[in-house]
Amino acid sequence: MNPLLVSLVKAVVIFAGLVSTAGLMSLAERKVSAWMQYRVGPNRVGPFGLLQPLADGVKFMFKEELVPAGANRWLFRLAPAMAALPAMLTVAVIPFAGNVVLFGQDFGPLSVADLDIGVLYLLAIGSMGVYGVILGGWASNSKYSLLGGLRASAQMISYELTLILSVLAVIAMAGTLDLRAIAASQAGVGQWYVWTQPLAFLLFVVATFAETNRHPFDFAECEPELVGGFHTEYSSMRFALFFLGEYAAMTVMACLTVTLFLGGSSVPFLEDAHWAVGFAAFLAKASFFLFLFLWVRWSLPRFRFDQLMHLGWKVMLPLSLANLVATGVLVSI
Amino acid sequence: MVIVKRKTLSLAERLYLPEIARGLSITFRKMFVPRSTRQYPEEPLPTTPVTRGQPRLVVKDDGAIACVSCGLCEAACPAYAITIDGGETDRPIEREPVRFDIDMLRCILCGFCEEACPKDAIFMSDELELADYTRAAHVYDLERLKRPRSVLRPRIDYVDRINERWKTPSST
Repeated sequence: MNPLLVSLVKAVVIFAGLVSTAGLMSLAERKVSAWMQYRVGPNRVGPFGLLQPLADGVKFMFKEELVPAGANRWLFRLAPAMAALPAMLTVAVIPFAGNVVLFGQDFGPLSVADLDIGVLYLLAIGSMGVYGVILGGWASNSKYSLLGGLRASAQMISYELTLILSVLAVIAMAGTLDLRAIAASQAGVGQWYVWTQPLAFLLFVVATFAETNRHPFDFAECEPELVGGFHTEYSSMRFALFFLGEYAAMTVMACLTVTLFLGGSSVPFLEDAHWAVGFAAFLAKASFFLFLFLWVRWSLPRFRFDQLMHLGWKVMLPLSLANLVATGVLVSI
Repeated sequence: MVIVKRKTLSLAERLYLPEIARGLSITFRKMFVPRSTRQYPEEPLPTTPVTRGQPRLVVKDDGAIACVSCGLCEAACPAYAITIDGGETDRPIEREPVRFDIDMLRCILCGFCEEACPKDAIFMSDELELADYTRAAHVYDLERLKRPRSVLRPRIDYVDRINERWKTPSST
């Protein structure tokens, strides 16, 4: 089998999976919020409203695209793509499952690229996501958008540090930057880093919420204060692209959490599981974190901006630093 | 001047996470509370004989309309929703409506026509839905108003029951 063809098929499958997950997440968001508020949620389009994302997509396509007067047209059009692209690039290094064996043929591991520096690549490209938000806010020529973009940039810088430092603790334990090797080093349930690095896990999960602009850290949008924040001036498919990017980023972050802390595709109490079982286990674990994103959003109020900065710089950063130092000492002994 | 005392937070509250867990547990439990939402077109509201829906004309069991076009309901109607043109018929009652229109946009569902009718020919049905694209489509003609007596039976029985006191001779 041509390896190029295999990689291409994998890329298409994973990309399609990511985009449809992002679409389904928009439905899940509405469903879960409805359930938590004694409502039913969308149930008119298709069974259980499953075709709602498609209907929304078609609707967005037919909406008029507005570019505000005085906006930087080129950046204004570039920003949504910049917001959606990083998530789609980073999903490439996520190891979803072990070697795929179909029709007696081994197609290699279920990930598009098997990079030795997967974690580095993912964090580097993932950080580009904020450019879409900042550029969108800046190019709109609107004060609300600009404020949203500025807040996003301040927030990203604050929480990126914690995110990376908590990942570093895991890397120190695993001794590698290869996501596949990190996942492989936690084959049994007892070896999951969530048990050996509980503080890093906690900090990482909180930081992912801030990284993906989700409640209670969605200062870039912040409807009550900033109308819609960075996407105030956006309409039509460009508006949808921001959300596609946000949900895709959530999906990637959930997958990353599973890979780093919950053993990736390892199945509890089942050594040498079939790759499909491992894949299912991976999806189940990632689904929990995706649900957590929604769950937290519909439970907690938004922070105040000074509280956000206080939490980021005075609580989470020292904690993650202390955790890294302690891990380093323990690993080196 | 109002002095607001700031509540001193316990350690668990200042750590924030236990309180988050408490909040999350509340929203999670609420996900499984039974819904009171009614999926309306599929699950219509239940009606009773007391329901005063749109007026309908009784078609007797032999297929003839009970109305004799006396015009009492037309006169009783406070909204001028009813228009009747009478005509002759070979049946013993000699008169029947050739045109009987009710403008459902005018009708206020008061039930005066039902009370006024001496022949038990018009009753408030349990039909409540009213939606169309033009005003003209809301003027219901004879054919759209006709309902078999069996369909209107619960309402007829109910009206008979509450009218009982007027039918018995009074003691004075």
